[in-house]
Amino acid sequence: MWNFPDRLFLYKDEATPSLDADKTATYLQEILGIPTETRQDFLREYGRKDLRRIAERIAESRVKNVDRPFESGQAAYGEIEFELRFLENPTKKVPGVLYDGLRIERLLLEMLPRRMRAAKIQHFVFTSRLIGTFEADGRYHAHVILCGYPSIISTSGLVEAPAKPKEYYVLKQRFIQAGDDVPFEMLKERFAGQFIDYDDPRITEVLKGYALQCVVHSIAGEPFCQNRRCRLFDAHWQSELIEAQLHGDRFCKRHREMLTAIRRAAES
Amino acid sequence: MPIFQKAGEADVTRAILAGFTHDFEEYADTEVVIIGGGPSGLMAARDLARKNVKVVIMERNNYLGGGFWIGGFLMNTITVRAPAQKVLDEIGCPYKEFSKNLYVTPGPHACSKLIAAACDAGAKIQNMTSFEDVVIREKNRVSGVVINWTPVHTLPREITCVDPIALECKVVIDATGHQAEVMQALKKRGLAKIVGEGGMWVEKSEDAVVEHTGIAYPGVIVAGMAVSSTYGLPRMGPTFGAMLLSGKRAAEAALKEMGK
Repeated sequence: MWNFPDRLFLYKDEATPSLDADKTATYLQEILGIPTETRQDFLREYGRKDLRRIAERIAESRVKNVDRPFESGQAAYGEIEFELRFLENPTKKVPGVLYDGLRIERLLLEMLPRRMRAAKIQHFVFTSRLIGTFEADGRYHAHVILCGYPSIISTSGLVEAPAKPKEYYVLKQRFIQAGDDVPFEMLKERFAGQFIDYDDPRITEVLKGYALQCVVHSIAGEPFCQNRRCRLFDAHWQSELIEAQLHGDRFCKRHREMLTAIRRAAES
Repeated sequence: MPIFQKAGEADVTRAILAGFTHDFEEYADTEVVIIGGGPSGLMAARDLARKNVKVVIMERNNYLGGGFWIGGFLMNTITVRAPAQKVLDEIGCPYKEFSKNLYVTPGPHACSKLIAAACDAGAKIQNMTSFEDVVIREKNRVSGVVINWTPVHTLPREITCVDPIALECKVVIDATGHQAEVMQALKKRGLAKIVGEGGMWVEKSEDAVVEHTGIAYPGVIVAGMAVSSTYGLPRMGPTFGAMLLSGKRAAEAALKEMGK
């Protein structure tokens, strides 16, 4: 049983200028036939009233230890001030912090005005914050998308979540074992082009596919495909991501038929 | 014919005392006290002094500069990544481009230029002085520091009775490196948190240090590696750009805090 929204809202990530949310919205509308609108940054759209309280909630969502389940507690004064600075200037990327995705999602839902909370309206929030969830293997995993209400699509997750080439980690580990400190960003230069990086010009094209995964999940309850050549494929490696998302609008047979059925239903 | 003009021992002593007393009287009630004279503390002091802020650095050692004299593995070449080379331009320190966006300069040259830049701008320096505690005022805001001579700490407690003294100020900058001494003092009093490690991702450590620089407790700004310790950020490479830019951010935050 499909759950058909009659409107989709995409919220821009002002910290990622290389992401064109309008193009992504047009893509979704063309492929699904569902009216899709773009809005400004979610936290700016709905968070004007009580920035300090929102900053506090975001700060409380910080993951302090990736090897332990989330430990809730009061945020430090400086952490709240840190979040406040980013809320006041949403064009800046938040570096070096992992947030518990489920807590961020709960906050976003609470911020949504009641009139905007309905099964017929789906919200997709682009953010530069890195989000993760604690998984059964006993540690946090970063994600590109977190399907829910609203769904979150992380531009930092696109860079950090799918694994880079194995050699990247071997080299990184060697530096760590040698007891040396390296500016790890410089390691990336050796592997340029083999993964999506911050402000990568390919971000919009890649995130079209991820946004589609979120919408398909909200409609059909099944976000991912096992076929590497389908845009709905759940890539664990950057090479898989590039293969799935940057070779035209490819879908497996089942998902192509599903998307056609969704479009027909939406247009009827 | 002697080279130097005559000056008696007593005159030399009086000159030292008068110079010290004059400066110390100014520190007693100042605008910004910076604890730690490493690269971030010096940078903050230089930028604040250039804005005519009354600022003093408290340094526990007799030398300033912290780890800025040497790079990684005791080799005295300093590296900075773009855009931190612009700071080297500001303080008049020459450098070379090693590779795209990575610059190198001799540590002693960069460090001495930075110390001179802070002093030339008007920052006061009190070396051989250790931070002991914070002064707390209304609403638990930090409004000063308690200090003592460093050598006092090397003597056994049983035979030392040198009481510390307190200085009042509007803002304290914790630039004490990994120890984050000011924040630790607040933690001991149960007033502030030092965040544990583990939640950050190492690739963004330099950006994270600069972006986390700012107010960490009412009246206290953290800068440099103290930021890393306060927020549990990962260690980063032997590249000093983040220390310099963190110092600049700390100065901006102090100006904002004082409404300037």
